[in-house]
Amino acid sequence: MAISPAGVRPEPGSFRDPANRVFHVGDDVLRGLDAQAAEHWRALAGTEFFTSLLAAGKVCGTESVEPARVPGDTRWATVLRHERIPFVSHPYEWSFGMLRDAALLHLEILRAALPAGFTTKDGSAYNLQWRGSEPVFIDVGSFEPVRDGEPWAGYRQFCQTMLYPLLLTAHLGVDFQPWLRARVDGIEADAVRPLFRGFRRLLPGVPAHLHLHAAMQNRHAEATTTDVRAQLRAAGYSRELALATVRGIEKLVRRLDRPPAASHWADYQRTCGYSEQDRAGKEQFVTVALADGHRPRLVLDLGANDGRYARLAARYADQVVAVEQDPAVVDTLYRALRAEGERRILPLVMDLADPSPGGGWRGVERASFADRAGADVVLALAVVHHLAIGRNVPLPEVVAWLADLCAPGARIVVEFVHPEDPMARRLLANKPEGLFPDYRRAEFERLLAQRCHIARREELPSGTRTLYTAVVGG
Amino acid sequence: MSHLAYLDAGSGSLIVQAVVGGVAGAAVAAKLYWRRLVDRFRRQPTDHR
Repeated sequence: MAISPAGVRPEPGSFRDPANRVFHVGDDVLRGLDAQAAEHWRALAGTEFFTSLLAAGKVCGTESVEPARVPGDTRWATVLRHERIPFVSHPYEWSFGMLRDAALLHLEILRAALPAGFTTKDGSAYNLQWRGSEPVFIDVGSFEPVRDGEPWAGYRQFCQTMLYPLLLTAHLGVDFQPWLRARVDGIEADAVRPLFRGFRRLLPGVPAHLHLHAAMQNRHAEATTTDVRAQLRAAGYSRELALATVRGIEKLVRRLDRPPAASHWADYQRTCGYSEQDRAGKEQFVTVALADGHRPRLVLDLGANDGRYARLAARYADQVVAVEQDPAVVDTLYRALRAEGERRILPLVMDLADPSPGGGWRGVERASFADRAGADVVLALAVVHHLAIGRNVPLPEVVAWLADLCAPGARIVVEFVHPEDPMARRLLANKPEGLFPDYRRAEFERLLAQRCHIARREELPSGTRTLYTAVVGG
Repeated sequence: MSHLAYLDAGSGSLIVQAVVGGVAGAAVAAKLYWRRLVDRFRRQPTDHR
């Protein structure tokens, strides 16, 4: 494969390990490896455990490319090309079940690697991504030969980015997403310890992995890891022991399940009810919008609820990202999709009025939702009134935001709920009368036409909702 | 082989993995602490600073 020297873009989220770095060249995702990392890659590529993980799709597709250089950078001894992940997401956008499955995959990979003489340098939730509802380990640069007598270097990171968030939700029912979003390196043990006092000290995983772990961290803060590694080796820490510890953590994570309550789901479906006629009309309209024109690579379904329209979109698109605010609703959708083996729908937890900002170093290490969007189709069904009335976002802002999430020439399929609709009336009743004089169908249409070409318009049989297909910049 | 770990694994995080590793792990941790203790006593007679 020839690599053009133009347009090399270093991945802003890949700089922590100086031995390797990810670059984007056009649509290709490349990874440069220094001399020693290249040596490790060659050893890794020949192992049976790695080839079976690759074949099973548990590690992202990876191959060496020639010429073995990222253009303009002579630092790299070898260059790998990775399979492209359809939509990069962050752990604070995942549901509980997603984080748990990602953690289990990370542990499974480590458990397969250790007997073959390999380990992972780190244990971060950011090592994982998704193909639809299927987790995939992406950090191929993390594998290195294991040194006998050494515990897992990634254990603390695993606790901070995966185990502690899981403990929060499984044991306390606290949503972990805001905690992870606020801390790029995950949740430190001392930050969550105060929540696990009294009888909660004894909940599974808490005594050893949280309290004892934190106490040991504080007690040994002065000791260097080089000294401690040597002392553990001398005391007889073995690879078998390392494997047993990983198995123990895996067993714990399996125990930490907390499926969303069924009642929550039923309530949700009841409150967003439509008449049969309206639902049929809406489905027909959305189907036509999706099937018309070129096949979309990425569809964003904003306010996805139970995923009805995300599922519909998946029939006509390569990848659908179903965004929903309620973590329990997303988790229910995820569990259903995972059970079906659906690989084209990625459910994500996000408040549309507070989408993921850029995070980490200089605010670019973790890309914002807006920077990742670039959708070919945006579905905004029964969502505009929630933003415009429920959250006071000015109508022109809502329209501009929808258009900004789109790639050039993309389609927006948007539903405008008239002020007379029962759902809109309920939202309006919570605000002073006359607060939203602009919230009218004619005004919405005028704003939409400023940014887009309105290709289709249809009022649903109830007469209080109108659907539009609008082509951005058209 | 040179050490490639770019991450600070945390000394306490390394030791706790021995402690949580069942009976065999606890034995390793006990041995580590015992050696530290013995080393401290051995060092003491020459340590007059």
